[in-house]
Amino acid sequence: MTGSPSWPEPTPTPEPPPATAPVRRLHPAAIAVYSASAAGNLALPLAVVLGMSVLGNGLDLMDLMRTLGYGVVGLVVAVIIGYVRWSTTRYWISAAGISHHTGLVSQKDTNVPFDRIQALDVQQGVLQRWFGVQRVDVQTGAGGKGGEISLPALLPDAVAELRGLKPSAVAEEADGVSRALTRRELVEAAFTAGQLGIVLPVLAVIGQAAGQVAEEEGSRNAVQLIPDTAGGWVLIGVALLVLAWVLSTLGAFIAFAGFTVTRGEDRLRIRRGLLQRSEATVPLHRVRAVRVVEGVFRRPFGLCALSIEVTGYAEEASAARTLFPLVRVGEVQEFLDEFLPEMAAVGHGERPEGAVPARDRRTRSAGAVVALDRPPARAARRYIAPPVLGALVLVVAGWFFVGPWALLALLFAPYGWARWRAAGWRFEDGRLAVRTLRIARTTVLAPARYRESHTWAQNVFQRRAHLADLEVAFGKRTTARIRHLDAATAQAAWQAL
Amino acid sequence: MIAAPTRTLAPQARLVWGAAQLGLWGALAIGAAMLSQVDALDWWPLVAAVVGLVVCVPLVPILRWRRWRWDVQEPGIDIRHGLFSVRQTLVPWVRVQHVETRRGVLEQAMNLATVVVHTAAGSHTIPLLAEKDAEELRDRIAELARTDPDA
Repeated sequence: MTGSPSWPEPTPTPEPPPATAPVRRLHPAAIAVYSASAAGNLALPLAVVLGMSVLGNGLDLMDLMRTLGYGVVGLVVAVIIGYVRWSTTRYWISAAGISHHTGLVSQKDTNVPFDRIQALDVQQGVLQRWFGVQRVDVQTGAGGKGGEISLPALLPDAVAELRGLKPSAVAEEADGVSRALTRRELVEAAFTAGQLGIVLPVLAVIGQAAGQVAEEEGSRNAVQLIPDTAGGWVLIGVALLVLAWVLSTLGAFIAFAGFTVTRGEDRLRIRRGLLQRSEATVPLHRVRAVRVVEGVFRRPFGLCALSIEVTGYAEEASAARTLFPLVRVGEVQEFLDEFLPEMAAVGHGERPEGAVPARDRRTRSAGAVVALDRPPARAARRYIAPPVLGALVLVVAGWFFVGPWALLALLFAPYGWARWRAAGWRFEDGRLAVRTLRIARTTVLAPARYRESHTWAQNVFQRRAHLADLEVAFGKRTTARIRHLDAATAQAAWQAL
Repeated sequence: MIAAPTRTLAPQARLVWGAAQLGLWGALAIGAAMLSQVDALDWWPLVAAVVGLVVCVPLVPILRWRRWRWDVQEPGIDIRHGLFSVRQTLVPWVRVQHVETRRGVLEQAMNLATVVVHTAAGSHTIPLLAEKDAEELRDRIAELARTDPDA
C-alpha cells in the first residue's frame, strides 16, 4: 500500500514540515482503524488455511486450536502494524497545501495543493463513531479509489480546521436547499427497495455452500432436502424470494437512514448511512445524467428513486450515485427544479408554458415523469412478440420435465407488452428524455450535449420495416436506448445530437 | 438515410479476417471430424463446418470490409459497420479520454494497427487501420486534447 518510488525524484525530498506549520497527528483511534484494515488483509489467508484443513480431513480439535493460535498471532501483528502506521503518520498544512507523510519501512509523501482539492469527504464508520472521530478523504480530480490523502481518525476540531482551508470544497447546509429523507419515506423506501437482483445471487451462493455442507453431513439427509415435486420447488422459490426481500429491506434501512442531499453553489452534498455514516461531495459539472428508476414494488405506489451518473466517480462509493432514494413520481420535476435544474426534463422550467406545442401523439401517460413520444405503432409487435415466443418455447420444453407447472412460464409472456407500454422518448431543446422498461421502468433525463457517444442501429428485419434503434451513452452506467423508432426519425435525431 | 463515412479500413484487413475465419471454421471442422470418428455420430456437424469453411472464409471478410466505414470529422469520430445489424456511432472529440493502439502479430507483419478510442462511458474500436491512418487519428486526438480545455 505504501510503495516508495523506486526512481530518483526530480526534487530530492518532499519539503520538510516548515517551522511555521505545526505538524499534526491523527487521533489514536487511528490505531484501531489501521489495525482493523490490517486484520482484514490477514483474514483471507487465514480463512484459506482453515478452509483447506476442513476440506482436507474434517475439523478436529488440533486444527481448531492451531487456527485459533494463528488468529491470535494475526491479531497481534495487526495491532502492531496499526500502531506503527499511526505513529509514523502525520500531516501538515502549509502554503504548499496539505501534506501527508506515512510509513516506516517504505515511506510515502503526498502533497495536494489547495487549488487541486476537489472535495473533502467526511465519513464516520462504526469504529470512528465509537471513538467520536471522523474520517476525512481529500479528493482531487485524479479519480482514484478513496481520497488522495486519507485521514482515518480526526477530532471534530481538526476536521473543522481542514474545512476552513477550502470552504468551497464543503457545501455547508446554509448555502443551498436541502432535503432529508423523513422517517416515513425511509420506511417506504426500505419496504419497496426490492433489490432482488443483488440479493438473489448471494443467496444462491449461500444455498450452494449449505448444500455442500449437507452432503458432508451425510448423503441421506441431503437427498431429503431436495424437493421431489414441482410444488416443492415453487415453495422453495417463494421462500427464497421472501428471504431476499427481507434482506433487501434491511439493507435499504441501513443504507438510506439519515439520507440528506444538499445543493450548494456548484456542488451537491449527499450524506447517508446508519452504521457507516458517509458523506460525498459531487461537483455539479460532473453530473451527466439523472435516472428516474421506478422499481417493480414502487411503481404501483407511484414512487421512484433518483440516481445520477457522475463522470469520473465510477470507482467511488455508491454514496455518489443515489440522488434521493424515494420521490413521488409526480414530484420528480419539482425535485429536479430545486436540486438539479440543469437536468430537469424537456420544456420544463426553462421555457414559458405556452411555447410547448401540444401534439396529440404525445402521451403523458399516468405517472409519466415527462411527456414522451411513442415509437410508431408498427413497432409494437417487435416489442411484444419475442417474450411471447420465448415463453411458449419454455412451456413446451418445460412440459416434459415438470408437466403443467411449465405453464408458469406464461407469466413471462406479457413482459414485451409492458416494454412496449413503457417505451418513450423525447428530444427537444437539446434535452433528451428516454424511458425504457427492464424489470424496473427507468427514465433517463439529460442535456444531450453531455453524451459520451451516440449510435443508431438497424438490423435486417428493421430495415424492411424502416425502423431503427437509438442509443445515447452518458456514462458507464447510463445509456439511454430506445428501440424500434421510425428510421428517419432516429437518424434525424442522431444527426441533431 | 445518413451518408456513410467515407474512409475504409486497410485492404489487408480482409486477409487478417480471412485468417481468423479460417482458424475458427478449421477448428470446428477438425472438432466435428474427431467427434464423428469417436462415436460414429452423425456426419452433419462435419458437413455444417465444411460449408461454413467454404462460404464464410472467402465471403465474410469481403462483406465486412465493404461495410466498415469510418472518418474523422468536425464533431468527432464517425464509425459505421455491421452486416446483419448496421451501427453508426459518433464519438465527439471533447469526450475522448485517451487513445490506445494495439498491434498483434499478424497486424505487425502487415503494417496494420487497431485503434481503441476510450471515453468515460466505454471504448470504441477501429480495427485494422493502415499505419498512417492510425497515426493520423492518434495525432489528431492528441492535438485536440491539448487545445480543448474540457478534455
